Amino acid sequence: MKFALPTFLRTTTFKLALLYSAMFAAFSAALLVYLYYSTVYYIRAESDRRMDLEFEQLGNAYFTGGMERLSESVFERMTRNGSTFFYYLEDASGRRIAGHFQRMPAHNPDLDVQTVYFEVTLTEPDGSEVVRPVAGRIVRLRDNGGALLVAFDTAQQTAIVGRIQNAIFIAAPIGLVLSLLGGLLISRGAARRADELARTAEMVMGGELGRRVPVRGSGDEFDRLGQRMNAMLDQIEKLVESTRNTGNAIAHDLRSPLSRLRNRLEIALSEPMSKESAEATLGETVEEVDRVLGTFNAILRLARLEAGAEGERVRMDVSELAEELAELFEPACEEAEQSFRSQIAKHLMVLGDRDLIGQALSNLLDNAIKYTPVGGNVSFTVARGPEGTVDLTVIDTGPGVPPDARKRVVQRFQRMDSARTQPGSGLGLALVVSVAEMHGGELILSDGNGPEGSPGLKATLRLPRA
Amino acid sequence: MRVLVIEDDAEMASFIEKVLVEAGHSVDKADDGERGLAKARSEEFDAMVVDRMLPEKDGLTLLKEFRDAGGTTPALFLSALGDVQNKVQGLKAGAEDYLAKPFAPAELAARVEALGRRTPGQEPPVTVLKAGDLEMNLLTRKVTRAGQKIDLQPREFRLLEYLMRHAGQVVTRTMLLEKVWDYNFDPQTNVIDVHVSRLRAKIDKEFDEPLLHTVRGAGYRLQG
Repeated sequence: MKFALPTFLRTTTFKLALLYSAMFAAFSAALLVYLYYSTVYYIRAESDRRMDLEFEQLGNAYFTGGMERLSESVFERMTRNGSTFFYYLEDASGRRIAGHFQRMPAHNPDLDVQTVYFEVTLTEPDGSEVVRPVAGRIVRLRDNGGALLVAFDTAQQTAIVGRIQNAIFIAAPIGLVLSLLGGLLISRGAARRADELARTAEMVMGGELGRRVPVRGSGDEFDRLGQRMNAMLDQIEKLVESTRNTGNAIAHDLRSPLSRLRNRLEIALSEPMSKESAEATLGETVEEVDRVLGTFNAILRLARLEAGAEGERVRMDVSELAEELAELFEPACEEAEQSFRSQIAKHLMVLGDRDLIGQALSNLLDNAIKYTPVGGNVSFTVARGPEGTVDLTVIDTGPGVPPDARKRVVQRFQRMDSARTQPGSGLGLALVVSVAEMHGGELILSDGNGPEGSPGLKATLRLPRA
Repeated sequence: MRVLVIEDDAEMASFIEKVLVEAGHSVDKADDGERGLAKARSEEFDAMVVDRMLPEKDGLTLLKEFRDAGGTTPALFLSALGDVQNKVQGLKAGAEDYLAKPFAPAELAARVEALGRRTPGQEPPVTVLKAGDLEMNLLTRKVTRAGQKIDLQPREFRLLEYLMRHAGQVVTRTMLLEKVWDYNFDPQTNVIDVHVSRLRAKIDKEFDEPLLHTVRGAGYRLQG
């Protein structure tokens, strides 16, 4: 059977945590080793220094007063309270002159100076005996042949070193374990958040398009990633939704003209017709087919526009275009017995495609004329908008679009029910929105200036000025 | 006119042929780019209709090569790709006009007719246009009918100028939008009709014989 590691042990964060704890361990080990050796070295150096001092003073006694003075000095030191040193002095024949010990510990008699380690049995004030490890230095006396031993109890030193060793041997594994545990915890936390992202992605793939990554609001990188991912999912959902709607809407919108066509052709087939009525029927049929083709063209155009495949933006005078359009539409407006007013600020430049902006404005003007009743009016204004924009605004006195329907009417094939009786593909405003987006602008719908109940529509195409 | 139709789709080719023959032209057909180019080079035509997507050699290349070799026959480009960029490409390659499929027969007929009149480079500089008793002086910008002065707005003047240059021919709404307004988009409402009827009111109203006729399902014709 294969041993499967828990998922989080395979994550990048865990591997990183592992790496960090290894680095931490190596660093701690180096630090502890340094600490250990430097402490031990310091302790040795300190006792060496005190030993040197001791010998210097005893040496002075010896050189000024000979053996006699030295032995006196040794006695004096032995009886001095609080002395941490042990002494032993012997003459050339090896006879004990003074000292804490009965005889000189084992040593090499040929060396002038040597360090020895040995153990002594001491009697405590309470009468018990303890064995203490000692380190000493034996110095052969010049011109005399005698020898002087100065030694000190190393138990304290050993205890300090031992405590440091203990600390190291206990602390190191604990530190290692803690750093590993910390690494595990951190990596599990990170892995869990990465898992949340992965789970959300899986659920979205599984068709739950509304799923979103939980965002904690901590502003960390996972939150930022989550926010980006959510924004992406919003966009995808919108696109899928619009594709779905478009598909349904195309089917729905084309069904009726196609079935009308079919009926007409059926009738033409089944009934003998006069030349005139046959011509009329065929003429209507051609018109119907043209409308269907027109719808398809509009769909294709919109698709190309959204894919960024259409339009070439150059610096252009949008005021000039607006003036031409006002001139083009004014007669049509008057024909429909509406009054037309235009107010166009001069020489406003945009970076745009003349044909696309023209088409977008035409769509707005066409809508305004279509939905404004006889005696109403259509106004067309071009003026500077806020923050370096230009507002191209068409206001009508038609029924208007209620606020809750505004989002919908700009979508493809989404028409208000009251508008279904009017000719049109249901793509007009969708195209305006696409053109606006392509130019980095927007389409803003609001109420016109009419009374409540029929406020009219104010449609503003806002484009950045160039 | 003798028209060369270079189109690979047999059904489309015979439809075009039928439309043009009905309009009084004679038609020669070629069904791929190579053959079309060879024909255009070896024979004399008054106009040619070139499909954009062709086997062997696509329409753009064909036209470029034809123009580079000095061919002057005016050409109408046909394509299912009816957006503006394609149109610009076609015109750059040397086409005089561009028409997107699907098209109305009248549109095709009117455009081919307009092509034939072009005969580039041979047009004498005209200062006065005439159609019946209607006269337009291009220098003084005066328009008179039967000696009576007619006041026109600048746009009306240009509209009438185009109609007079194509007097006797059918001119479609799209052609007017493209040539008079220079718009490559569809303003949807019957804006053109309104402008034409205003112009008609000015030039025909006080006269017995109307000059500007509506051709049902196609466009307008100014009587020559």
